[in-house]
Amino acid sequence: MPVRSLLSRVVLAALGACLVLFIVGPLLRLLFFASPQSLGEALRDTELRDSISLTVFTASVATLIAAVFGVPLAYLLARRNFPGRRLVQGLIELPVVVPHPVAGIALLLFLGRRSELGGALGQVGLEFVSHVPGIVAAMLFVSAPILVSGAREAFRGVDPQLERVARTLGDTEWGAFKRVTLPLAGRGVLAGSMLAWSRSISEFGSIVILTYNPKVASIYIFDQFTTFGLQSAVPAAVILLLVALAVLVVVRVLQPEDRQ
Amino acid sequence: MIRLENLHVRVGNFDLRDISLQVPRGGYALIIGPTGSGKTTLLEAVAGHAPLRAGRVFMHDDDVTDLPPERRGLGFVYQQYHLFPHLSVRDNIGYGLRSSGRRRDALDPEARIAELAGMLAIVPLLDRTVRGLSGGEQQRVALARALAPKPSILLLDEPFAAVDPATRQVLRRELRELHEREGITTLQVTHDFDEALRLGDLVAVLSEGRIAQSGSPEEVFRYPNSAFVARFVGTGNVIAGAVERTEPGDGPGPFRGRFTGGNLVLDVVAERAGPIHAVIRPEDIVLSLTPHPGSARNHMEGKVLRLERIGPVTLVHLDVGRPLIASLTTQSVDEMGIKGGAAVIVTFKATAILLV
Repeated sequence: MPVRSLLSRVVLAALGACLVLFIVGPLLRLLFFASPQSLGEALRDTELRDSISLTVFTASVATLIAAVFGVPLAYLLARRNFPGRRLVQGLIELPVVVPHPVAGIALLLFLGRRSELGGALGQVGLEFVSHVPGIVAAMLFVSAPILVSGAREAFRGVDPQLERVARTLGDTEWGAFKRVTLPLAGRGVLAGSMLAWSRSISEFGSIVILTYNPKVASIYIFDQFTTFGLQSAVPAAVILLLVALAVLVVVRVLQPEDRQ
Repeated sequence: MIRLENLHVRVGNFDLRDISLQVPRGGYALIIGPTGSGKTTLLEAVAGHAPLRAGRVFMHDDDVTDLPPERRGLGFVYQQYHLFPHLSVRDNIGYGLRSSGRRRDALDPEARIAELAGMLAIVPLLDRTVRGLSGGEQQRVALARALAPKPSILLLDEPFAAVDPATRQVLRRELRELHEREGITTLQVTHDFDEALRLGDLVAVLSEGRIAQSGSPEEVFRYPNSAFVARFVGTGNVIAGAVERTEPGDGPGPFRGRFTGGNLVLDVVAERAGPIHAVIRPEDIVLSLTPHPGSARNHMEGKVLRLERIGPVTLVHLDVGRPLIASLTTQSVDEMGIKGGAAVIVTFKATAILLV
């Protein structure tokens, strides 16, 4: 192998390795920082257990809502050419660039009791600020773009000609979607949903403004850290990290292999 | 039967216009044309995938213009087959037998799958996934899938484009046999006129979104109505030039005239004067080593450039002041001892020159 080519490979590998270590290093340090004993104690703490169940529950509800509204939208974005498609695509991706506390403040103004919508919803018993629906709203806001873009790419990966073939074989549009598009895009849509779910689990910035209490796991960790210090925050942090890693593994398994 | 009346389809900036065509029940028609002439768009319009701007589509006397694809009762085989990658070969073939829009009482899926797999010699493939099938195998599966629901109309988009020549020949023969056995009205797209000659009862030549000519393959081949069609179907030598009248009078009907194209001057029988193309079929050209007596009016000296032997037929490439191709039997070429570089007398009748 020529020296130059070997050198450039070594440089590229070294650069990549630095970044990978920077990501893996802190997480490994965190994992080994907590003693098994402290993890066991933390798991017996009802406040932590409650905050983790609350997080899993609210993230699941947010993902479900995002899927119900987002999957059809993703299909439209992938398949139909309608006026304003690019605009809709841009709008749906907005939450990715909005800083999360900014999103929290915007949601507070939009859904707070003093806003018209918040007031009206409050009348029928749907309170957002300092209530569970507030957590779901914040999670939905930050995670919906991930689900929509994941599902959109999954639908794009299905050759539209296959749907046409299904139509000539007697399927209605819905039949072709059900028997061809969905089975082929299903894994990708599910992987997008899992990523959206883990994005919800990790959300802090907007929830802290909308609903500090009851505490989701990320806020619980922050609260432990500011009130009792590092030692108290670590076990909860490790448990949340393990939940996130488990999701990542599932997503990797679900995601279709790279096309040749 | 398929009847198209004045179809107009627009896809992007491309227009398919004034398409009128009738394929009789049980007939086999071919749409031929170069890449970009609108062949596939035409099939998509017949299938109901491409919206019409104008015109009507009839199938067996029913106006299906406003029906969605699934209610037109047709089978469509795509160029790239488009087998469902998540289904086995068996489930691909059976797809249309279990579709949402179809009556469930009509056909026993398993029996029909077995029948078609037997016909197309793909029984050993039935339980495989479609990944890893060869081009010819995919083609057979795609054909079986399209035929399974017993459509009365079959649309084929360049079905042999992606298989090797040997497989192509076998598939062509099988397709023709299937067509006869199942009695399906078939409309096939191809860019290969040879395919049209072998398969079709009817051929329509498409050029830039319009039908340039339609008729029996033999008729289109022998009597192309334009230089484009003559060149595309390979009728023979196409020479641009102009005709002037040489016999007195100006009444209607054919007249004797003189065609001039470059340095070639020919006696012709024409129906109109002015700019025109002369088409001379290679098999109408007679070669001899000495001047040929007889009624043929056009004699010229030529030089043999090279011989192209295609089995029993040999194409003789000539220079008569411009390139010209003659087609002779290989036997007569050998008997006459025609070789590259030889000087020959080139003769053809005035009536053998087609003016288009």
